[in-house]
Amino acid sequence: MIGKLNHWKAAGLAAAMLFAVPAMAAECIAPADPGGGWDFTCREVGRILAEEGLVEGNVQVTNMPGGVGAVAYANVAGKRADDAALLVATSTVGITQIAQGKYPAGSDQMRWIAMLGADVGVIAVAKDSPYQSLDDLLSALKEDPASVVTSGSSGAGGWDHIRLLMLAEAAGIEDLSQIRWVQFDGGSPAVTQMMGGQVGLVSTDLGEIKGFVESGDIRILAVLSDEPVSAFPDLPTAKSQGYDITGYNWRGFYTGGEVSDEDYAAWVEKLKTLYDSEAWQETAKSSGLEPIWRGGEEFSAYVAEQEKQMAEISREIGIIQ
Amino acid sequence: MTDRLAGLFFFVLAAGYLWLSAGYVAGFGDPLGPAVFPRVIGIPAAILGLSLAIWPSHNATWAGRAGLLRQVAAMGLLLGYALLLEPLGFVPASFAAILGLSLLMGAPPLRGFLTAALAAPGLYLLFDRLMGLPLPLIGEMLG
Amino acid sequence: MDILALLLDGFSIAVLPLNLALIVGGCFAGTLIGALPGLGPVNGVAILIPLTFAFGLDATSSMILLSAVYYGCMYGGRISAILLNIPGDEPAIMTTLDGYPMARKGHAADALAISGVASFIGATLATIGLTLFAPLLAKAAIYFGPADYFALYVMAFTTIGGITGTDPRKTLLAAMLGLMLGTVGLDPSTGVARYTFGSFHLYDGFDPIVALVGLFAISEILFFLEQKAHGGGLVPPGSVFPRFSRIKEGLGASLRGSLIGFIAGILPGAGASLGAVMSYSFEKRISDRGSFGKGDPRGVAAPEAGNNAASGGALIPMLTLGVPGSGTTAVMLAMLISLNIQPGPLLFERSPDLVWGLVAALYLANFVLLILNLPLIGLFTRVLGLPAWGLMPLVVAISYLGVYAITHAAFDLLVMVGFGVLGFVLRKLEFSLVPVVLGLLLGMDMENNLRRALSISGGDFTILVQSPIAIGIYAVTAGFLVLSLWLSKRSPPQMA
Repeated sequence: MIGKLNHWKAAGLAAAMLFAVPAMAAECIAPADPGGGWDFTCREVGRILAEEGLVEGNVQVTNMPGGVGAVAYANVAGKRADDAALLVATSTVGITQIAQGKYPAGSDQMRWIAMLGADVGVIAVAKDSPYQSLDDLLSALKEDPASVVTSGSSGAGGWDHIRLLMLAEAAGIEDLSQIRWVQFDGGSPAVTQMMGGQVGLVSTDLGEIKGFVESGDIRILAVLSDEPVSAFPDLPTAKSQGYDITGYNWRGFYTGGEVSDEDYAAWVEKLKTLYDSEAWQETAKSSGLEPIWRGGEEFSAYVAEQEKQMAEISREIGIIQ
Repeated sequence: MTDRLAGLFFFVLAAGYLWLSAGYVAGFGDPLGPAVFPRVIGIPAAILGLSLAIWPSHNATWAGRAGLLRQVAAMGLLLGYALLLEPLGFVPASFAAILGLSLLMGAPPLRGFLTAALAAPGLYLLFDRLMGLPLPLIGEMLG
Repeated sequence: MDILALLLDGFSIAVLPLNLALIVGGCFAGTLIGALPGLGPVNGVAILIPLTFAFGLDATSSMILLSAVYYGCMYGGRISAILLNIPGDEPAIMTTLDGYPMARKGHAADALAISGVASFIGATLATIGLTLFAPLLAKAAIYFGPADYFALYVMAFTTIGGITGTDPRKTLLAAMLGLMLGTVGLDPSTGVARYTFGSFHLYDGFDPIVALVGLFAISEILFFLEQKAHGGGLVPPGSVFPRFSRIKEGLGASLRGSLIGFIAGILPGAGASLGAVMSYSFEKRISDRGSFGKGDPRGVAAPEAGNNAASGGALIPMLTLGVPGSGTTAVMLAMLISLNIQPGPLLFERSPDLVWGLVAALYLANFVLLILNLPLIGLFTRVLGLPAWGLMPLVVAISYLGVYAITHAAFDLLVMVGFGVLGFVLRKLEFSLVPVVLGLLLGMDMENNLRRALSISGGDFTILVQSPIAIGIYAVTAGFLVLSLWLSKRSPPQMA
């Protein structure tokens, strides 16, 4: 257990915190309240950055909730566009918002540093559901789009919803707006409502509902990744069932648009070192993320491409005009 | 009289609220849509407001001239505190706000000054250092 | 019994010196954080997470620390509610209704003691409930669907009508105002921005903490400035020692409040505020003879027992399902995940040390809080003797800090001042502020659940009355109303 030494360390730390001069340490903005995915990204990455000695001192985590990230986006664009000490956590959810015009500016306003991993979308049903495979489910939906009540942790038009509609579209379902969609405040509340028989299907990220997969309370009909996920290699992908749809929710960072090339390159390199560290690989796995690296220019191009795609899909299924 | 005004205010507020709700349409989403719940609240609020305007039940008395002036001054201080927290930094802004408010509330000048001089840096240490909630130490204007 | 053995194991973990120190430290810190306006349990727990990493605590010790803080906050929120009429956090709003009038009469010490004991009873009963029935209750909570939640909120708002005196139209209007304010922001179902007037700052709506501090704390200052300044305190401090006879008066109410609060806590999303509201309005319906709202000890005991029991109850869906019952438990869940512990249905099997160590620590934390809080009553009541010119500006500075440190937006501070003016005017006009906050707090969930229910049924309204749970709740609501009508006929309150 934790011995005497740690008590001294603790006391020393407390004292140091009181009197230390504020070092020019890195800061990570989590554009959400404490407890959510973005907050988690900031805190975990911040912790490992500090542990691996990649930044001076600790990474300060600042919560700046509002507008699914729009407040932080506006704040960085307006006030801190050249602040080289700044990281802002984001994910596919943020890009969806940008693509649907819900942020004050497009993705070209920021410098996109890197993504460190991705949560994989899943389609889940309760263990006593009549649907055994993706085919069962989609053919039932095709016959009567209202036959299964679908749900997830985003509102209508959010990423959870879009992923499901992409699948439905691939299955040849015409009237997508007939599919009933219920929004819950997270993947696990949605799953418990499904276990209680209120809804028939949950579309969300695997990481959020891992516990229910392990306990066997739910059945995963499809994971929306190219390859089976490493934590659950037995779960079938949508691709293997003949539907060429993937739906990742990546986690990554951007910084202000006026940060110099030098500082930008330094961040990319730091995050690459972090990505390669054992600590990150473990953290990613334990939180249900597939470690995937895209950094620097490659990542910027990826974000721009995804923004375009997402806008197209949103238009196709009628979420934006 | 004050109740009539309040009732009228609520009626106008609810009417404006209802009027704006008409603009909230989603091309895509749930069967109820974003406008129905505001109507469920707005309509009874408008009726209740109107009833209060017609049948008032109470008349408030306001502070005298001096009291109103003090209240206006306090509002000014509070707004200034909010607006200057970032440009001036936490410690100077809090010092000024605490000093100003305590003088308004009748503090003996020296003791008010001491309270503010101790409290402003003390609260900074408590929040920023002890609890780890980042605050601007020196403002954007000075830093 | 099996549970007993597990619990004993848990105690053997909780009494390790490090864990005991964490319990005591966490309770103390939590009480302070809870008592400071603008800082609630969510912030308290979020503040401490980096510390748990810095000290290298393991998962069990971290959870013990955070839960002690969480329980401490629930105790602490009532202190400023009673002494200053400023709730320290959302669940404490109901405590202002009778707690502050007691303090004004010079009975602050009694009110603090009653609420302390009530908090202890509520939290302890909830912990016992958690020990004995957690997995069972979690299974039952699953069957609570959107239509049932909607019925629950209808019940809460129906009973609000009678919680404050004066003109009932004003109580209703205040609730409507809160509900209207609650609809500001992005509509969660469709993403449409409502009443935001183009400002991104309003996309997440009004933060209840910002509204709470503005309505109560800032308006209090404006009230004080009405009269010519004097050097004294806000209210007479009265006796420093609580009287045992008064504590006894609140016991029945504490027991009833605990049960109601516990049930509200188990339901994910309902939480401590709802627990406090329902406990208070229930107690008022059955016990009020015109003394509620004027400093009735039962009006202090019921909501405090209710909100503490609810926070204990909220740990059940968190531990057994991995579903956060409140903002605070959401933060705790995030921490568990980052410590490589997967919350969810298997937590009891896989990490029995963590679960039972935590449960045991909760029992200890309750005792620590009671022991810590009773001797502090004298100290707290002396706060009332401080001159207002020293106390109130400090409260303002702390509120500004609390709000700014969490949102990092001066915009929220301006909103807070706006709420202050609103609160002042409303109070001058004899509108109660409590329904405004309740509308803001509960309105969004009420609308969401209504819309979820209708999304499930495809727009068919009969879904609202199809489930036996919803029907039961509506029946109880109707029963309440009939009961209160009958009671008010039998013995009319002295003042209408």
